[in-house]
Amino acid sequence: MNRYHVFIMFLSVLALSGCVSHPQTAEEFRKAVPAAFSAKVETFEVNRPFRQVARTFQKMGPNCLAKTIKTTSQTNMSHQVIVTTYKPTVVVTGKKAELHVQQHHEQGVLNVSKEPDGGYYILVADAQPITQTKTRIDLYRPSMGNGVLIQAVKNWATGENIGCPDLTK
Amino acid sequence: MGNPLDIGRIAFIVLSICTASLLAGCFGSKTYPNMLDKNLHVHTATDSGSWFSRVHAAVDIHRVGEDCALDYEGTVQLADPKIDIGIPPLRWNYLVFVFGSSSFFANRSGTITYETLLKARPNYHYEVAVRYKDDMYHVGIRETLPNQSTGREIEPLELSACRSSSGRK
Repeated sequence: MNRYHVFIMFLSVLALSGCVSHPQTAEEFRKAVPAAFSAKVETFEVNRPFRQVARTFQKMGPNCLAKTIKTTSQTNMSHQVIVTTYKPTVVVTGKKAELHVQQHHEQGVLNVSKEPDGGYYILVADAQPITQTKTRIDLYRPSMGNGVLIQAVKNWATGENIGCPDLTK
Repeated sequence: MGNPLDIGRIAFIVLSICTASLLAGCFGSKTYPNMLDKNLHVHTATDSGSWFSRVHAAVDIHRVGEDCALDYEGTVQLADPKIDIGIPPLRWNYLVFVFGSSSFFANRSGTITYETLLKARPNYHYEVAVRYKDDMYHVGIRETLPNQSTGREIEPLELSACRSSSGRK
């Protein structure tokens, strides 16, 4: 994560918070994203049964996203170390699978608003069955930054190129 | 009191030396002896996707004690497409696959890891696929009997699984 990402994170926090408060739950995050400056809702369908998508979220979410990442940026005038812990939560019921991703900076970034337990929400993905073979995905996600994470979650939904995102990018 | 510019220069030199030492593997990293019969066959393919960045892969091997404490035994650099490693059978090993990326122009570096417990069975072989491409990584472990191409996929096992099983004893 470089200064650009930190700046984007800062903007995201400001935009989502409206300079007052940051979403404290996944539901608050869903409600805040449509009106946020640097976040958006993306909806698409995948040709995969809901159960498969849910199983992929259950498998890949904890395996890939329960991580603490350290990145180092250095110039001849500065040295910056950022330590970030990601927390995935997967909730599956008969008709919906949810993946929540939270981000907590252990070091290197100042928080500007109250942080929920586990960190700020940065992404929520909801999967719901449409037919036996099709699933609808609602992705509440940043519109700038975190591109690798967003792509990974899309891949988990479509079942193509399933891997873990390099969260240092 | 020293000149702040001088202090800044000294701090930069110290940080540069520390970084160089880390990259050289002088901070607690040691080469795994790799003297046992080879039962872990690691197939590695990494591609940073850019001329201006680099990705390297390695695996740290830890012995897992009865109390689930880790004893670092060494690192194998996954610099070749296929590397054979011998890990002790009939005991828990903790394997940490490390993907380190660095960007030349941005002067940025970061590492992300994939960890799993593994207890190798005698006479069994473990084919490990380590991939990094398009900022996504994947580690897959397949257990096979010698001269058999089929086998079973080994799901990652967190260290907490050791702690929870030893806690029940």
